[in-house]
Amino acid sequence: MSTTLSPQLQEATQSFIDHLLASEAFMHYQEARTTIHEDSEANTLMERLSDTQATVRQQQATGVVGQAEVDSLRLIQQRALRNPVILDYAQAQQEAIEFLREINGEISPLLGIDFASFANHATC
Amino acid sequence: MKRQAMSLQVSTENHMGGEPAKELMMDNKAINDIEVASPSVVKQAARNFASTLAETPEFKSFEQAAERFRQDQAAQQAMEAYKEKQMSWRALMMLNALSPEQRTELESLKNTFLDQPVVQEYFKAQTDLAALCQTLGDALSESLGLNYAAACGVSCCG
Repeated sequence: MSTTLSPQLQEATQSFIDHLLASEAFMHYQEARTTIHEDSEANTLMERLSDTQATVRQQQATGVVGQAEVDSLRLIQQRALRNPVILDYAQAQQEAIEFLREINGEISPLLGIDFASFANHATC
Repeated sequence: MKRQAMSLQVSTENHMGGEPAKELMMDNKAINDIEVASPSVVKQAARNFASTLAETPEFKSFEQAAERFRQDQAAQQAMEAYKEKQMSWRALMMLNALSPEQRTELESLKNTFLDQPVVQEYFKAQTDLAALCQTLGDALSESLGLNYAAACGVSCCG
């Protein structure tokens, strides 16, 4: 942590984290993360998906996108969408994200600022 | 938390070699009931977190600086003048078609705004509060395995 937190703030933050991790959405997300990390087929597919997406993005930036890469990306996407481990992970992640947004919506009006915007590291 | 309860059940079955004792099953159910935090309980923890954050010197300084900025006529007028000119020249700015004179005028309005002491104080307080919130956001992101700000729909440009 880059800023020193008071003991009270450390305690409140830890309690907030503990409660979030104990929520149904995050328990499902943590379980899905563990499962996907332990599943070699899902892992390989995710890595290939990520690599191919990066290649297509690089090609888009230069203005020349190869048909072979686009076809390959579509194929891997279709395989990923049929993989139950990946599907469960994607769904669990989406549920966790929606819950986090709901929670941020609880915090922000109390503070009078959007907490997530202040917590964001602006890098561009 | 749920995993703890599940592993307790598994270990009971393994060690006892059959149906877990009724008492232990009840204990497991109780653990599950207690340890899964309902949305309302999580929201309460979130509100406690927010109220503790609101008590920090960084947050109080920001609130005070924001109030001084709101109450300062000169700063408000300087901000309005800069914003109005930005709005009226928006299309030209997007096309990067401002004349040198227009650029100078816009820069001058911006500097007049930024030179206001209450504006500088406000931005300093905002930066300090953002540093604190970023530290908290990093702690949340690391523990949750999700980037808090990105998950809440904040892009790198805010």
